Amino acid sequence: MSTIPRVSSAIAGEPAHFGSVLAHQPAIAAAFTRLYGRFWGSDVLSARLKEVARMRNARVTECGFCRNVRFDKALGQGLGEDVVDDIDWGYETSDRLTDAEKAVLKFTDAFIHDPELLTGDAEAALKRHLSPEQIAELGLGLTLFLALAKALITMGLEPEVMDRTVLPTPAPTEPVQ
Amino acid sequence: MNGPVAEALAANPDLRTGFEEFRKAAHEALGEELTAQVRHAVAGVHGIDLPPPVGTAPPATLAYARRIPFEHTAITDEEAAAVVAELGEERFVAFSVVAALADAECRAEKVGLTGLSA
Repeated sequence: MSTIPRVSSAIAGEPAHFGSVLAHQPAIAAAFTRLYGRFWGSDVLSARLKEVARMRNARVTECGFCRNVRFDKALGQGLGEDVVDDIDWGYETSDRLTDAEKAVLKFTDAFIHDPELLTGDAEAALKRHLSPEQIAELGLGLTLFLALAKALITMGLEPEVMDRTVLPTPAPTEPVQ
Repeated sequence: MNGPVAEALAANPDLRTGFEEFRKAAHEALGEELTAQVRHAVAGVHGIDLPPPVGTAPPATLAYARRIPFEHTAITDEEAAAVVAELGEERFVAFSVVAALADAECRAEKVGLTGLSA
């Protein structure tokens, strides 16, 4: 995995990072920013459950940038580092993760890794804890987390080193209709 | 066709519209013909049949697209440079988004997202 950018920055004076590289395609950047803000601004699925799925995606895809970013809304909902530490292999036996979080993690693994993991029991658990609308929102999140991680990695935008960084949660850039 | 993720969002028009706009922006930036070729290549890796695309895709670009689903961390700087040489930097950025999005949409289909959201 390369940590040398494979694309130059499109913003004069800025190094190559996700924002400056995506600036080569302003229409994509604007649409992504709008969508990501709406996604995180929606409370159909809690920010904590979204962040649990995002953290799992970061670990499985080996996205170092994703793995070191925390969104503050999930922190405010109690997702501390002790819980995040359990979002690893063997999460099924964690006593810090809730049953709903374990169901989300199993679905995340099925989505981003192996669909065979969504066994009858796993699907029943997912449906027991999440409504169809919440599952749809989780599916959108996983789509964006996975695509973002792979785009970052394949464009060589992974940091060599990065401290854990708490960022403001993306928010809608326009009033939700 | 807007794919399984957009279909799953039928009950949430705000997110659905946002996703469709994002997807459309990426596809338009890469171009309809190459987008269809990339999506076909990625779907093939997942065992999903899409209609055969028209035209001839740049070879390094298609080979790279086929690595996205299961080998994204193994792609070398040389492979990436070959795609940049074929597409130029601006379209390489669009290609990276389109290929990664295609992979995620295939995975949504394989896991049955539309049915789970109904």
